[in-house]
Amino acid sequence: MVEAAPQTSPDTELLHAIARGDESALAALYDRYHSILLGLLLRILHSRVEAEDVLQEVFLQIWQRAANFDEARGRAFTWMVTLARSRAIDRLRSLQSRQRADDTALRDAPDNVGDASDDAYHAEQREIVRAALAEIPEEQRRALLLAYFEGLTQSEIAARLGQPLGTVKTRMRSGMSKLRDLLGEKMGRGAGLNF
Amino acid sequence: MKHEDYKEMIALDALDALDGDEEQRRALDAHLAACADCRAELAALRDAAASLVYAAATPSPEAAAPELRARILAAIKSQPQDARHAPTNGVAATASQTSNVSSFDEFEKRREAREIRVGRGLFMFGSLAASIAVAALLVTLALVWQRNNRLQTELARLSETVNQTQQELARTRADRELLAAPEAHTATLAGTKMAERAHARLTFDARTGRAMLMAADLPPAPAGKAYQLWFIAEGKPPMPGRVFQPDARGHAEMHEIIPPEGRTAAIFAVTLEPAGGVSAPTGEMYLKSSAS
Repeated sequence: MVEAAPQTSPDTELLHAIARGDESALAALYDRYHSILLGLLLRILHSRVEAEDVLQEVFLQIWQRAANFDEARGRAFTWMVTLARSRAIDRLRSLQSRQRADDTALRDAPDNVGDASDDAYHAEQREIVRAALAEIPEEQRRALLLAYFEGLTQSEIAARLGQPLGTVKTRMRSGMSKLRDLLGEKMGRGAGLNF
Repeated sequence: MKHEDYKEMIALDALDALDGDEEQRRALDAHLAACADCRAELAALRDAAASLVYAAATPSPEAAAPELRARILAAIKSQPQDARHAPTNGVAATASQTSNVSSFDEFEKRREAREIRVGRGLFMFGSLAASIAVAALLVTLALVWQRNNRLQTELARLSETVNQTQQELARTRADRELLAAPEAHTATLAGTKMAERAHARLTFDARTGRAMLMAADLPPAPAGKAYQLWFIAEGKPPMPGRVFQPDARGHAEMHEIIPPEGRTAAIFAVTLEPAGGVSAPTGEMYLKSSAS
């Protein structure tokens, strides 16, 4: 991954402002990231109603916890995305346990169609990530995506794919390693991922 | 466990894909606390995992409606925020200003300098003088040895202070990590009619059980009594947590490791109990979390 720039990133600046109670900074962060976060939530929850609800929860928690974000420990982008994914997986598990009999009821929105809505800010990053994923061997990629978007654990992935646990672990390790290297490579070429 | 095994666990942890194995989790956390290399690796892999957000398609424009934005921002308006968690007392706070550790460094340098001076002096004498020098050396050494004993005691005291500082800093760091951890859950507790202005927030990590309760505006506990936290999981009797006392301003901060059976609790309460704590609630409830 690209070395962090010596000055604070714009996202970190926004979080600092949010921590000081600046509501316009929260609005700015919302404007910058709501579309990709909503996309993530829709992919995990397959329901517009649930995704919007969790999106609200996510921004509320960003507002509540901004003061304890420490950039020395990681990037603002990672913090936000991880928070969104965690809330989504929590909601998914809660929905699954309440509606075990009828999974189809969860899906009230078809999977998203285009990315035509991406503004320039995200379009470049999306390209980089898509290209990187395409270069990862299919078995590794499948395991990574099952973990990330369905919140499955290593054993659950092994069961789902009908593969031995050891194989799955090795593939996930290789996949993550490759993803990290490819992203680093592509970003190093001045793609300027704005973390 | 070999280092390679930890590296594998880290790749899985970056995706939150480890099975909920207690022992494994503890071993990994302990290793991470000690290995900067692995901490950096975990951070880098978590960054890579976060970029997977771009593997999901973005919703089309009319889906990201302006009234959703307005609704969300309005709901958040004037909600309370967590204060930045920093040590306000004790060794950790002092350490950031003074330098218990650097005075120990100075002591080491002085001791080394003294040893070098004694050594150099010896070479300048002839053989007769050498015996005088040896006698002088013995005397010097005796004096040094005596001084050394006193300094050893001081060293032991400083080491103890350093230890305390390190422990406090580690605890503070762990608290801040917990408060900021994106996977951490938060429950808000509201005061009952016993203490209508009281309120509290419980932040906890369901994987490790680490929890922190921050309460405010609690009335002081009468003599012989203390507040006790309870974890209530569906279908189970309330599980006892630790007891605590608020300070003069009514604030309390309490750390706890929730045992595994309590980590699925979704409801939390605080009651007033005898000071040693009890195994089932007997006293009045002062704080209760809202069911969500």
